[in-house]
Amino acid sequence: MTVPGDTPAVPDEWRQEFEAAARRPLATRLRYAFIRTYKPVLDDARYRAFSTMADYREWCDRHLPPWLGYGRV
Amino acid sequence: MGAFDYRQATDLRDALARHNVRYLFIGKSGAILLGFPDTTQDADLFVDRSPENGRALGDALTEVGFELTAGQRADLEHGKDFVQLKNGPFDVDVIHAPDGIERFADAWQRHVDIEGFPVCHIDDIIASKEAANRVRDREALPRLRAFRDWLQGSKLS
Repeated sequence: MTVPGDTPAVPDEWRQEFEAAARRPLATRLRYAFIRTYKPVLDDARYRAFSTMADYREWCDRHLPPWLGYGRV
Repeated sequence: MGAFDYRQATDLRDALARHNVRYLFIGKSGAILLGFPDTTQDADLFVDRSPENGRALGDALTEVGFELTAGQRADLEHGKDFVQLKNGPFDVDVIHAPDGIERFADAWQRHVDIEGFPVCHIDDIIASKEAANRVRDREALPRLRAFRDWLQGSKLS
């Protein structure tokens, strides 16, 4: 029997994580969700602006290390 | 500069509300507000593009501690598609034209309110990541889709 909220397509491990997160207050969720890690190039300027998203994507492709994952597939 | 924390989030939310900024949390930060258990570095704001809204956004960001030059405030007023701010107490990406979402008004109609934080619907967050199609999005999408399925299922119960 399928219990509402127990979607069979969701892997069990993920479902348990989602349920655990839902039980935490928002303040706690945010405390553990936002982290500070240095990202080369990306974090080396205090401000950037791009007129178009295409410009931004092109800049990411050209300047960021591929392992950061900002490049288009 | 530290990571974005709850007090900063509420300060930002309250400042944006005081200045009547029309915006939505989007991206992974939006998903986290919806309950998605994951980590990220910055807050992503999808902002309705207009000179008045950009001016109000500049005022609100200044109020919470961002050091914006006149040129940077002008970028916000002109509604540049993507503005990356690391000149404040936390990192913010301002997005005026996210991939995969046609108009702010459409996303606003579907948005969800989480303790006063206006957040894009999970379908819009997923659509935006699908359209952006970066390596990091491809990696995040299976778990985000599973979260959407779980979220929709849990609303039925």
